[in-house]
Amino acid sequence: MATDHESEPTTNDAQLITTDVQATGTGRNGEPTEPVVTARDLDVHYGAEQALNDVDIDIPEHRVTAIIGPSGCGKSTFLRCVNRMNDQIDSCRIDGELSFHGKNVYDEDVDPVALRRKIGMVFQKPNPFPKSIYDNVAYGLRVQGMAGDVDLDAAVERALRGAALWDEVNDQLDSSGLDLSGGQQQRLCIARAIAPDPEVILMDEPTSALDPVAASKIEDLIDDLADEYTVIIVTHNMQQAARISDKTAVFLTGGNLVEFDETPTIFENPADDRVEDYITGKFG
Amino acid sequence: MSRTEYQHQLERLREDVLEMSDVVCQRLRRALEAYERTDEDLAQRVIDGDHEINQLYLDLESDCIDLLALQQPVAGDLRFIASTFKIITDLERIGDLAVNLAEYTKRARRERYPDIDIAHIGTETVLLVEDAMAAYATNDADATADIAATDDEIDSLCERASRIVVLDLVDTRGGDDALLEDVSRMLLTIRDLERVGDHAVNIAARTLYMVDNDDELIY
Repeated sequence: MATDHESEPTTNDAQLITTDVQATGTGRNGEPTEPVVTARDLDVHYGAEQALNDVDIDIPEHRVTAIIGPSGCGKSTFLRCVNRMNDQIDSCRIDGELSFHGKNVYDEDVDPVALRRKIGMVFQKPNPFPKSIYDNVAYGLRVQGMAGDVDLDAAVERALRGAALWDEVNDQLDSSGLDLSGGQQQRLCIARAIAPDPEVILMDEPTSALDPVAASKIEDLIDDLADEYTVIIVTHNMQQAARISDKTAVFLTGGNLVEFDETPTIFENPADDRVEDYITGKFG
Repeated sequence: MSRTEYQHQLERLREDVLEMSDVVCQRLRRALEAYERTDEDLAQRVIDGDHEINQLYLDLESDCIDLLALQQPVAGDLRFIASTFKIITDLERIGDLAVNLAEYTKRARRERYPDIDIAHIGTETVLLVEDAMAAYATNDADATADIAATDDEIDSLCERASRIVVLDLVDTRGGDDALLEDVSRMLLTIRDLERVGDHAVNIAARTLYMVDNDDELIY
């Protein structure tokens, strides 16, 4: 990366959080909400290729924000910027600002590990560890040094309940996570992501590898998760974005964020003709 | 189904709705003609032909449901199909009102109300339906306000006609069952024509929503 932020981790959770941010919208209860994640003039390059171009966005808390767009438009790149997953890509260069509660996550004093405790991630393909169900969930707490601070059994149960998996696995916590069905594995990964009690959950096409029934359970779960967490989900499935999200961001070719609005507005009356063409299938 | 075929289906849906509206307007004109000439044969043909309009409605309803279920339309496409779904209901109801008019023809004693020009009111309502469908056909949102305004004029015509009927009833002493039947039949005729105008406004309202996402005329 052009910006080397792999220096000594010095930030704790409290330092990550500031409150001098303007409210940007209303939550599900109609109350004003603050932006949790904010991008300003965000450019991302992979070598000479530009993946994101001058992105400005304010993502509100406790709502589901969907990111849609054609392949190669930069939506996954944006997601991976939020918790610095792009740090691992040498050719990646990030300019501009991407803030979590007003603090630029690319400042030198931000610890990526601490950041990822507050911003969890769920991937396209379920990726449980070859460990027991219990250990899969407890893993995050252990590696982040939180296991000694909490009642681990209670934390695991809380995370599995939060992922709507507890009732299905509470009598087999010592079984391998790999023995679960695909949909259960993905919910196990969600349980693992929420175990450290993050604020934001990033999801990169979390149902694309699942059958419709399993996908439906995940969609219901995402709706429930928004009561406690801010959810940002990348999806290729526009109907899914329409079903489950409160706000939708549309990225188009060149890494441009073309439109960001309430989901009903995007899918009923988008302002930009290019968005209309994309979501109606006239432009791919 | 490819997205190209999907776009063709949307175009065909609009063409089929316009064909249905042509049939409906033709039936309404024939019902008016039968009423004016007291032509019971023509009236009966309008009545017998209603099943054709009902079938057109059912076919188009099925087409809309298929598009919604299989293509999951959004944005302008969604507003077009949702509006079309409502508009075909208005057209089917106009067809029913044409049947009502044809049925009145069989028993109408028009000489009782020489000052009521049913032909004029009826022609105005048919023209209004045709204007509304032209707006739908060409995505002409600007025309929809004129259609709502013209309907207000038709409402005034109907109100004046109804007043004539009521005043005649008040002035008539010793009215019998035949009189009461004439009164109720004429009032129903006027009301049905007024409702045709209302359906034209509904079509205009859905067209405005379809084109501009504006629900101003819907409620």
